Amino acid sequence: MKLDLHCEMILDEYRAKLPVFEQLKTVVLSQLHRCLDEHNLLVSGLEARIKTETSLSGKLELKGYKYHTLDDITDILGARIITFYSDEVDLISALVEKLFEIDWENSVDKRKMLETDRFGYLSLHYVCRIPRKLYNDPSMPELNQIRFELQMRSTLQHVWANMYHDMGYKSEVEIPVEYQRNMSRLAGMLELVDEQFSRIRREITDYRRNVQSLVASGNFNEVPLNGDTFRSYLELKPFHRLAQKIASINQAELYEDSLMPYFKVFYLLGMKTIGDIQNLRNKYSEGAYQLALLQLAGTGLDIVACSVAIQNLCIVAILKQGFGEAGLQRLFGLVYGESDYNAQRAHRVFEQAQKINLIQ
Amino acid sequence: METIINNESGKTLVVLKGRIDTTNADQFQQDIAPLMEGEHPDIEIDCSEMTYTSSQGLRIFLLLQKSVNARGGIMVLRNMNPQVKEVFDITGFSNIITIL
Repeated sequence: MKLDLHCEMILDEYRAKLPVFEQLKTVVLSQLHRCLDEHNLLVSGLEARIKTETSLSGKLELKGYKYHTLDDITDILGARIITFYSDEVDLISALVEKLFEIDWENSVDKRKMLETDRFGYLSLHYVCRIPRKLYNDPSMPELNQIRFELQMRSTLQHVWANMYHDMGYKSEVEIPVEYQRNMSRLAGMLELVDEQFSRIRREITDYRRNVQSLVASGNFNEVPLNGDTFRSYLELKPFHRLAQKIASINQAELYEDSLMPYFKVFYLLGMKTIGDIQNLRNKYSEGAYQLALLQLAGTGLDIVACSVAIQNLCIVAILKQGFGEAGLQRLFGLVYGESDYNAQRAHRVFEQAQKINLIQ
Repeated sequence: METIINNESGKTLVVLKGRIDTTNADQFQQDIAPLMEGEHPDIEIDCSEMTYTSSQGLRIFLLLQKSVNARGGIMVLRNMNPQVKEVFDITGFSNIITIL
């Protein structure tokens, strides 16, 4: 590739400033990571690259006349944030506006550039600088002068852009018209899917908020049992009193562990509402305690997990409902995974339950 | 109580022999201290020759599990005899620690 003197000078400038670009890349990524963490925002991707010399040479060969110096090229450092949902792009861009200095004249919202009857590349591009109040290295003052490009788009917008880039954009081969049409159709479809994902996410968030209020109100018989309602119910610590009573057998320390594995047990026991679980708890708490007393008294074991309470409640419920050893084996399989040991454990617990008349 | 630690292709293999009780829990904790840090958090513990664990032993397993979780690793206890397993079952520790 033969470049004119002007372009060669820009390339020389690029080579000389590479260490600054490397440092800028590190600063941009670390500041973005910190900002996203502070706002508890999960993104699908956060990446940055420095344009290679070959790529820059190609750009200069095509339109080097447009640039007076290297500073006029704003995408030597390019960063990208890929969100899960399309409606998160605006949220992230608002944070970026507070974080970096934005060169509005050269920033572009490609989502608003397409005509209403056109479908294609959707992405928000900001040209930014690092403000001194955010990062200041006296040995590298030019770091705050250099502009870089930050793209923000959703995962599906990213998929489309990648495919387009791979198959057409910047390609030396002219894309046939019918192929362009197919890409536009795909862009339209992905835009619809993106919108639907955002809508479903909003609806689930609303549903969870409603569930939390319903559970907190204590009208358990009106709350259907599902993963969300069970999680909200557990926040009320409904098994804690029983766990404390069990811990008191050996004056034991109580360790809080996850009770979520028991959701599927209650579900298979035929519980339809949170009220059903509440009734089961009230009905079988004494039996669950008696079983723990038999197992723990005299052992000197002075640490127990909170899940002992719910585990013993399920054991008693299974035995009282007449499911016997086979039912216990199924319980252990559901909670701890299938293994030969479950049969042994079921047999041992069944024998213990017989001693305290828990068998129906 | 004896603790044998081996490293094999990014995973730590531990063999436990004997009882873990008040008399040797501190020693056990010292023995496994190196497993609480390091780049390779995956740990497999062979318990076939472990004959008992007290609450102190359970607490040390819990510490180790938390350390492994914090580093994104997986810890499994294997070949535990039914008597030792019963200790994990009746304390609810089978719900916290993966026993295969």
